[in-house]
Amino acid sequence: MSWNFETEHFLIRLPVSDEDGTALFKLLSQDSAVAHIPRLPMTVEAQALDELRRIAMRFETREAAFWLIERKSDGDVIARIGIQYINWMMLNAQLQWELSAECGLEELQEVLPVIVGYLSQDLHLHRLEMRLRTGSENHSNMLVELGFSREGTLPSQQEFEGEDIDLDVYSLLKGELKA
Amino acid sequence: MKFTPELEIPGGCIKPLHYDDIDGLFELYKHPEIPGQRPLEDKEQLNRMIDYSVQMAATQRGMMWAIETEGQIKGMVSGFDWQPSNLRIVMRVDGLPSLTVEERAGALKAAIGFLSKKYHVRNFAYQWIEGQSDDIKVALSECGFTLAARLRDGWRTGNTEFSDVEQYHWVSSDDKPVPRKLGDDDELGQNLNANKRGES
Repeated sequence: MSWNFETEHFLIRLPVSDEDGTALFKLLSQDSAVAHIPRLPMTVEAQALDELRRIAMRFETREAAFWLIERKSDGDVIARIGIQYINWMMLNAQLQWELSAECGLEELQEVLPVIVGYLSQDLHLHRLEMRLRTGSENHSNMLVELGFSREGTLPSQQEFEGEDIDLDVYSLLKGELKA
Repeated sequence: MKFTPELEIPGGCIKPLHYDDIDGLFELYKHPEIPGQRPLEDKEQLNRMIDYSVQMAATQRGMMWAIETEGQIKGMVSGFDWQPSNLRIVMRVDGLPSLTVEERAGALKAAIGFLSKKYHVRNFAYQWIEGQSDDIKVALSECGFTLAARLRDGWRTGNTEFSDVEQYHWVSSDDKPVPRKLGDDDELGQNLNANKRGES
């Protein structure tokens, strides 16, 4: 069973711990890529190496899987898309994405069907959920365009930079993706 | 070590799970309220659950109480998915058909009051699963919970069957605790006995 995929313009691949540190740091050091989660941007490259090692361990135990979206034309990593908190009993998981400025709706419409198809057909997941910091309009608009439904807002889910953060919940059930 | 206190509620109490109550707890688990959950067949499994209830409380992962009114175990109130650093937890009440709305709300309020005061938990969630009694929502409303989100097909009830989950929240308006210098706090592990030296 391969976890690496390909579309016309992109490689959708699991990261390589010893090789992808620089590319991941470049992506996750941008505030715009992580503000919707919310998370602080990375400040030193060692954080990306730590993250790669953590993700490798979480993948080994099938707790999570994160794919790098690499543009074939220049080898740039334009996004990371993953699932975590996989509940194999309930057949659901949380989707998370971190997007560079070069990854918008058009790019997501190319890569997401492959990822979602794999999650639903091969892993039999029924429900994918994404949680966004309330007010992340750009992300919520793209989710709705892709077929996700807004389900509500969970209050005070975490404290971030001294603020209580509410998270909007979006979900996609099997067969609902629009591409 | 004692981490889970006995607390009064109208008509009875909520109390830590104890091996002496296994028959009452077994009766409860023979009548699951959650859609898709099978009745428990092996009473012995409850011994392990009681062990877990102590471990969960000691490590701040959850807390479980039996609800006792009129001298009978009528339900359980539990907190799980406890995230101490985010000051939040998910609550759950399981009851026999004889557990009234008032008793359910009373048990929930007592557990929330303790977790709020002792551990400064501020954000309490409750997941009502489609197919459960609407009386549960009445009890939630009585405790101040409001609907935050309806999670489509959030609960699996069969191989290919799912139910929606309504997620309710109550968030305390109390001030957040101010962290103290580590080591200055003698409430080690929040062990209730250790907190009352000379009394345990």
